[in-house]
Amino acid sequence: MYLGFLNFFNASPHFLRGQCPEYLSDELQLCNGLLSCSLRKSIPSLPPLRTPEIQCAVDSEGKRRGWKKWIPNIAFGADKVLRSIAGATSSPICQFIPSPTTFLHSVDPRIKLVWLLAFILLPARSHFYMRFGIVLYLALLSVWALPTNVWMDQLGRVILLSGILFIILALSADGAPPTVSIRTPPPAITGLPNIPSSFHGYKYLILKLGPLQITRKGLSVASTSACLTFTIFQSASLCLTTTTPEQLASALRWFMLPLKHIGVPVAEIILTLLLSLRFINLVFDEIRNVALGILSRRINWEQLTTMETIDVFIQYVRRIFSNIFSHAEQIAQAMIVRGFRGDSKNHKIHFLSDSAVGVPDIDKKPNPDSLVQYI
Amino acid sequence: MNYSTLLRASAAVLPPHFSQSPSENYAITGRNLSFCITTKQGERFSILRNCSIWIPSGQLWMLLGPNGCGKSTLLKVLAGLLNPTDGSVYVKKPKSFVFQNPDHQVVMPTVEADVAFGLGKYDLSREEVKYRVTKALDAVGMPEYLHRPVQTLSGGQKQRVAIAGALAEACKVLLLDELTTFLDENDQLGVIRAVKNSLASTGDVTALWVTHRLEELEHADGAVYMEDGKVVMEGDPSTIFKFIKDQQASYMDQINC
Ligand SMILES: Nc1ncnc2c1ncn2[C@@H]1O[C@H](COP(=O)(O)OP(=O)(O)O)[C@@H](O)[C@H]1O
Ligand SMILES: [Mg+2]
Repeated sequence: MYLGFLNFFNASPHFLRGQCPEYLSDELQLCNGLLSCSLRKSIPSLPPLRTPEIQCAVDSEGKRRGWKKWIPNIAFGADKVLRSIAGATSSPICQFIPSPTTFLHSVDPRIKLVWLLAFILLPARSHFYMRFGIVLYLALLSVWALPTNVWMDQLGRVILLSGILFIILALSADGAPPTVSIRTPPPAITGLPNIPSSFHGYKYLILKLGPLQITRKGLSVASTSACLTFTIFQSASLCLTTTTPEQLASALRWFMLPLKHIGVPVAEIILTLLLSLRFINLVFDEIRNVALGILSRRINWEQLTTMETIDVFIQYVRRIFSNIFSHAEQIAQAMIVRGFRGDSKNHKIHFLSDSAVGVPDIDKKPNPDSLVQYI
Repeated sequence: MNYSTLLRASAAVLPPHFSQSPSENYAITGRNLSFCITTKQGERFSILRNCSIWIPSGQLWMLLGPNGCGKSTLLKVLAGLLNPTDGSVYVKKPKSFVFQNPDHQVVMPTVEADVAFGLGKYDLSREEVKYRVTKALDAVGMPEYLHRPVQTLSGGQKQRVAIAGALAEACKVLLLDELTTFLDENDQLGVIRAVKNSLASTGDVTALWVTHRLEELEHADGAVYMEDGKVVMEGDPSTIFKFIKDQQASYMDQINC
């Protein structure tokens, strides 16, 4: 009986796609706009669902008084949040970008892992110039290796983050002026001549703006943490955008293989990691799709009370969780159908390491038995 | 509605048009299948009611019906994923089930690793595994995708990889659940062709294809129409097509009146 309706879907199969293409959100909104316009036109006598006006804020002419618009409007925020979630082109955490293939894509993931580790450890205990050099190097590498819109987006976000960190720390690290804790008695008491100030113009206090002051200590703390933040975030996102998660997993497996001898369940760990990596995309898609679903209902946020808005968000989170659990169930069922019984010792995983890493495995021996890669 | 119940009564009692012994010529036989679940409130709710289905060996049959009529449930009962409350099932072995959403089925990072995933339970040599994977990918028309990372594939390609995974296990029966729901027209045709080709090349494989898209009927050797947990009609695709079109027309008349 419903097959008649389904023909409509056949005409526009995109509506049935699990992953909504990004242009769809606009289309959908347009659709909804038209729909609600025509509805409003055809049912003019429909009473408003709710009258949210606060009585004391409405004067005799029924107009709101000025002060009400100064109250922060949660409705506007909710709509904006959902809209930005639904419209996000890529997942918030840097995802693998398969094309254009850059030089970084072809680097062995094991080397990338080592570099990543180095970039995390290096700036912590090195000279200021070294730190700044690494930051500059990473920025240039990103600009050179990644497509323009990607690096603009990435660098912009990371610079914003470390910039905020820098400003906050620079101002606050040595913020309270040490008026009480001066230990050396003033020269007036001791009768000795004052200690001559530095010939090189050394100043502990670098800048003073009213109550705010920037000191050498503050500057050093701020620059260290800003550089560290930048280096860690940017190197990680560079690595993630140019390496598939599976490549990283197999690189990790290569490093962990020796641990097998001391009884670490490497096979289980890596298989679990692989499965969870496959799952991440599903989770992000789900978050985006449910947001799109709520948006397309055209909820009139301004008519909702704060509690109702919060309720919508709780519903949103619940929906995401229940959908994710159903995905997990389906995946488990599919794996069971294919003969997996939750035991990675009895279930061989073929062709994993060689094709995922892209280079022949070093631990491969010529004897044909070991050619089947046991994970 | 009376019309359809009449038809169902005749369809459920009558054996299908081939009247040989079922176990020989039919790859799939389900007799008087019922499936009930108990809801959280403690009520019993029957999803399948006295379904009978016969699918001849070596053919591609389609299972049609509106959303929520119990197609997936019937398929899962046939696959052995659910136990029927009542009735008996016979399906040739080995059998394989391909899910609606390819993201659920394709779990490994690369195409060849995923196609080989189902082979992990057997004790095969690497050459044997490689041979089977290559053959299965050939059958679905993706021989050059052996080393591709899975996330660079389109929906239809993932679906074909999932089918290849089933074929690599050399299964006799393919149970395919609404594979084309998430696909656009191009991918949809590709997947149907892949199934048809693999049936033709292996000879002995039977496929039961669940769909709600009428236009896919033309690729089938036979079709079964379900409604509300019951098999309403089965027969050759053109008859089913006409039946559904008639129903749609009468439904439209009802709405317009
Ligand atoms: N585990 C379950 N719990 C509750 N209801 C279910 C369950 N599985 C299926 N159903 C219900 O059974 C009906 C048939 O579902 P399904 O077989 O998925 O239909 P179809 O695949 O034809 O769209 C639906 O109404 C669905 O809500
Ligand atoms: Mg279904």
